[in-house]
Amino acid sequence: MALSTHTTPTGFLLPSIHSAPPFFTQQPNPATQATVTEQWTKLILSYARFRRLFTLRVEDAETSGGDWDEVSRNPRINRRLLPSYLEYIISQLVAKGLAVYEPAKQTRSVQLYWRLPEEWAEVLHEWASSTGQLNTIMTFYEIVEPPLPSELSNLPISLLKKAIGILAKTARAQIIAVADGEGVRFLAGTSGR
Amino acid sequence: MGGNQSVPKITPRDRAILDMKLQRDKLKQYQKNIQRVLNREHEIAKQHLANGNRDRALIALRQRKYQETLLAKTDAQLEQLEQLVSTIEFSLVEISVLHGLKTGSEVLKQINKEMCLEDVEKLMDETQEARAYQEEISNMLANNLTPDDEEAVQEEFRQLQALAAPDAEPERITKLPNVPDTEPVRVETPEPYVHEPVRERVPVLA
Repeated sequence: MALSTHTTPTGFLLPSIHSAPPFFTQQPNPATQATVTEQWTKLILSYARFRRLFTLRVEDAETSGGDWDEVSRNPRINRRLLPSYLEYIISQLVAKGLAVYEPAKQTRSVQLYWRLPEEWAEVLHEWASSTGQLNTIMTFYEIVEPPLPSELSNLPISLLKKAIGILAKTARAQIIAVADGEGVRFLAGTSGR
Repeated sequence: MGGNQSVPKITPRDRAILDMKLQRDKLKQYQKNIQRVLNREHEIAKQHLANGNRDRALIALRQRKYQETLLAKTDAQLEQLEQLVSTIEFSLVEISVLHGLKTGSEVLKQINKEMCLEDVEKLMDETQEARAYQEEISNMLANNLTPDDEEAVQEEFRQLQALAAPDAEPERITKLPNVPDTEPVRVETPEPYVHEPVRERVPVLA
């Protein structure tokens, strides 16, 4: 029974373990379970990175037609990820700091950190300098939906705010608020203090 | 940490710019929305036609036309707003250029003050005096030699010149063949050969 990798319609290469039926069931043995969880974590994060998905919900295992179908289901072996198992995997992601419950105080939906906020902060600052927009007032909308698609397109505003917060601590960004909304100004600053 | 010192203050001007940009964003989103409605009406019209409801289809198309005019108007307003924003940003740039020029000119003035003209003149004069003094001394020292000594010095100089120039060549021509006849010496030996006769003769003359 050779397990094979499989390329999804969107062009993502699923690892061979995805074709193994036991992958989709919670394992009684803690050691095996730890390895399997590790594999699921890697798979989920790399899929999210590939398709630039930021949210994962238990709901994605309950219903079909969402963005996560290619990963949560394997019709070729007639297996799918059960919601309870997904909830467990999600809690493990949060425990490892690779996701946060978003909105807070619930355990069904998380925001994935396939790139940590600190890394997003760097990407953000880098983008602002390379497009010559340092010291310019910018709106959040301008950043996540720029006329030219960039690394930051469609970034969730909450993640954007976290990244800006990190930059503000090293004096590389400044948040400005007016009656109608908020904006940010990126500064050259010095990396570090 | 003192991080706040490097962060510029948020001026009311900045807030005004932000406000305008937020308005611009709102317009852009409004445009996106209208575009979406446009597309949907198009689909609806097609469906109605397929179902044979010509009237409904016509209504949908009229809706669509109306939305298109809205879109055009929004475009015009958006352009105006964006122009205003860029003009303001440009004038901010101009202000900072002016500020830079002012600072530069201030610095130049300060430096010029330190370099006052009279001081420079005085310095040049003093240097000239010192140089003239130096020349006088050299002349006096030069004139301390009696005419006889001067003649001897000149003679020595002429000898040296004569030896250094023409003799060097015949010396080399005669000496070079010798080198292979004697021991297997390096090329260095001809050089002492050339120099030594010069040194020997000078004491003889003196």
